[in-house]
Amino acid sequence: MNRVASWLTLLYAAAGSLALAHKAPNSFVKLEFLAHTVRAEVLVPESELAFATAAERATEPFADYLQRHLSAETPQGAAWTLVVRSVANTTYLGHAYLSAQVELTPPPGASVRELVLLDDAVTHEVRNHVVLVLATDTATPEVLGALQYPARRLNVQR
Amino acid sequence: MKRSSRWILGAALLVISHAATSADALCAKPSTGNGQVKAVIASIETLKKALSAEQRAALDRPFVRESAIKWSNLPVGIVPRAGLRLGDLDEKQEHAARRVAAAALSACGLKMLDEIRIADNYLKNVDTRKIGWDGGNYYMSVLGTPSEKKPWMLQIGGHHVAYNFTFNGGKDGATPMFFGSEPIHFNMGDTEYEPLATQSGAMSKLAQAIAKHPEAKLSGTFTDVVKGVVVVFVEGQMPKGGTDTGFPMSYPEGTTDRGILYGALAPDEQALVRAALESYASLPGAAITQSLVAAYESPEALANTYVGYSGQPDLAARGSYVRIDGPRIWMELVVQPAVADNKQLHYHALWRDKQSDYGGEIGAK
Repeated sequence: MNRVASWLTLLYAAAGSLALAHKAPNSFVKLEFLAHTVRAEVLVPESELAFATAAERATEPFADYLQRHLSAETPQGAAWTLVVRSVANTTYLGHAYLSAQVELTPPPGASVRELVLLDDAVTHEVRNHVVLVLATDTATPEVLGALQYPARRLNVQR
Repeated sequence: MKRSSRWILGAALLVISHAATSADALCAKPSTGNGQVKAVIASIETLKKALSAEQRAALDRPFVRESAIKWSNLPVGIVPRAGLRLGDLDEKQEHAARRVAAAALSACGLKMLDEIRIADNYLKNVDTRKIGWDGGNYYMSVLGTPSEKKPWMLQIGGHHVAYNFTFNGGKDGATPMFFGSEPIHFNMGDTEYEPLATQSGAMSKLAQAIAKHPEAKLSGTFTDVVKGVVVVFVEGQMPKGGTDTGFPMSYPEGTTDRGILYGALAPDEQALVRAALESYASLPGAAITQSLVAAYESPEALANTYVGYSGQPDLAARGSYVRIDGPRIWMELVVQPAVADNKQLHYHALWRDKQSDYGGEIGAK
């Protein structure tokens, strides 16, 4: 490993270890725009989800929780279809996260590249929590916006 | 003598007596310049004479949004800071830098800066991860050209302090201000420290007093301050952000879920609101902060000021949270688990002014 790579590894490790304990972790929704659907990876930190679901006293599977707190619609208000394909535990820069693979499909005739994302997962309870929405169909992920209570709607155009 | 010890000794030498104003009544001994722009400029000129050309270039930065919002509450290992690194200064330079801080801050603001830096040295000893804990990892920047008439900024900050003072801005410029403490209470050598004792004590007294009013309890859960910095982590890349990229902020509106109105409190409870806000507002020198306190404590402002809490009012558990939310004022304090030992606790505190962060001189992106 060259010196730069070694230095970067150390920094990534430092970032991860810090994230583990210091800054309250945020959620991420990574959107990849395909021909007919939007593929989304939804990352929710387990620590913050625990606060959110404790308040709801919910014991449902994470996929069901997401179905209740995440959706999409056209700018005119027509609902998109949302399917949670899979859920997995993962570690993301030092935090324990739940990662869901989600497929979003617009109603017939609607553009796949224009939607309103509605998301209050965790933010319905944790007031400082931020959901960062990123587009990952570019070489460098692009931040499309952020949602924090009471905001739960984000207009997306690609 | 260690550098941080020299810095502390300098504090004792530089503190001189001034008549206390109402704004910094909690500070027993206001500092050298007490926030007067002339004194701050003079101290900066003296500092610059003691610096090399390279150090002066680090100290001087443009007064633009990108520079102004570059403060954080994360260690420098994650969010690198710009400016003159205080840990790199020789003894003469360090005394000169300290005079700048002493000119801008009140005595209690300077004491808090000292003690938070010492807390970082404490953390460095107990947590060996390469995160950047170090009292030397605090920075000073001058944004723009120091002037008695034109706008410019002085920034002093590092892991748990972000002082952002705007002079001659269109509006009063004491904010945004972040401060935090880990550990909350510790010993270094023979000395006991509790950097945020005044602020956390004032906020806790306020929370305990208002807890008897059901409407003072805020809905939701708080795991950090609400209007702080946001970090963007993208796997495989260095974390981005961690600075004030969310500025300008939006704030709660209306009358629901903001806590209890000042006017609904008893006089002794109202006094605790004023004491709590003054415990934050007395950190900058009086010249920087006195007009803000006057604005926050005007009858019109107080009539529209809410105070709320969540969690334990005595701040003895994680998730405890207190907030003052008025027409301009936004002050928060939250209790988080500590980094080095997550059974312990640590504080994050934030003061924003809804109208005059950065002196009203920095716009949206």
